[in-house]
Amino acid sequence: MKYKNKHIGMHLRTWGVLLSMLFMSAAVQADPVPLEERLLLCGGCHNPDGNSVIPENPKLAGLNAKYLQRQLEDFKAAKRSNPIMDTIIPMVDESEFKALAKYFSEQKRLAGVLAADPATPAATDAQSAPAAAGAMSVQARTELAAKGQQIYLEGVLATAAPACGGCHGEDGSGNDKFPRLNGQNQAYVIAQLTNFRSGARTNDPKGVMRAVAKRLTDEEMAAVAEYIFTLKEAE
Amino acid sequence: MKKLLSIVIVALFSMQAAVVVAADAYKPKVYGKKGYVWDEMTPERVAVLKMTGDPVKGKESFRGCQGCHKADAAGVREGVYPRLTGQHTSVLVKQITEIRAGIRLNPKMLPFVEDPAISMEEIADIAAYLNSLTTVRENGKGAEDMSAKGKKLFTDNKCFTCHGKNGEGDAAKSYPMVSAQHFDYLVREMKWIRQGVRGNSNPDMVKAIAHFSQSDMEAVADYLSRLPDYRTVTAQAAAPAAK
Repeated sequence: MKYKNKHIGMHLRTWGVLLSMLFMSAAVQADPVPLEERLLLCGGCHNPDGNSVIPENPKLAGLNAKYLQRQLEDFKAAKRSNPIMDTIIPMVDESEFKALAKYFSEQKRLAGVLAADPATPAATDAQSAPAAAGAMSVQARTELAAKGQQIYLEGVLATAAPACGGCHGEDGSGNDKFPRLNGQNQAYVIAQLTNFRSGARTNDPKGVMRAVAKRLTDEEMAAVAEYIFTLKEAE
Repeated sequence: MKKLLSIVIVALFSMQAAVVVAADAYKPKVYGKKGYVWDEMTPERVAVLKMTGDPVKGKESFRGCQGCHKADAAGVREGVYPRLTGQHTSVLVKQITEIRAGIRLNPKMLPFVEDPAISMEEIADIAAYLNSLTTVRENGKGAEDMSAKGKKLFTDNKCFTCHGKNGEGDAAKSYPMVSAQHFDYLVREMKWIRQGVRGNSNPDMVKAIAHFSQSDMEAVADYLSRLPDYRTVTAQAAAPAAK
């Protein structure tokens, strides 16, 4: 899948880096950094409420606090790597991770809405949908999500790929061990699956995601990512 | 003093060497390879069997298994993944530890059960949890009822010696319950046991089913797939006696 509006993401990433440079001085000081300031740093890419509208960046809202804290620690320890996060994480002290993880874990995760037209009004975060969808029509995306639903709930028998819902929950709500997936941005999900498959990301504690991703094709990853984007937590 | 120190150092080194040798010495063999010991009590299997599994913890640990075996542990009707509900804990422990040890060859399952994906305690907990479950979902059966032929083959070839008259297996000897299992799983495992693909074949079973044709295997599998869960049978048998 190609993303038409990738440059928007690039602009926001640049913003994020600039903002972080602004606050670098704050990090050096011993006084604890107010959460509001931190939200400017993190929120540039992930949105202050954690529902990132940039398809390449993950939504942090509603992520399980323990999981999120572990990711921050892993970025700090270079056990997980990302060009942007690698420049941001030195500015944040390890002692702040817990509070940041708690804050984002308490925000409400918004499900994505499949849309083809950027002008489509309303709906949770319709803004992000067109960027991720590229030139796909709503109907094509809905069909792709339906394929993804099959994989998410039943797995792929032929290649023994387990159902995502087994660990992450049928509604994608996750737990301390397995991160929340519902509503997550497609491009981010595809990137992580690809990185697990290639071995570029290795901080799945027991290598389980690497084993799973090796059993998925590019098409299956795209389908499952589309479904995850639309997935809502069970009421 | 110097002499004493060197003795201590030498002693430490030789101890380390001994440990390395011991670790090297344990190399499990699979069926068909020289030195294969069927039903070997591996150190890990012994250790896990000594533990008392906690079904409540097991339910949480099973989360990592249910992507394939399903949340109700009933597997899939297509038989790609077996039904695990009610299986004897001794059997579950034997199979999981043998997959980890490379005695049962199961590359699909290995990444999800190998050390440290799950701990020894988790194996005990998961086994206790699965054993406690009842089956609610219907299992996969053969396309046509071949249970009469299957029952005859099961009896004539004395399969009941290990797997029991009702397919209930034998918890004390780690023989699996095979009743109410998915038809396709039973056929596949019979083939894999006979070919040695499964790795941990019982040589006696290989002999017992060596002469089975494809349709014989299907008949036996169909018969077993139509048998009720052994615990239902036991409950029914016990009911009149209780009166």
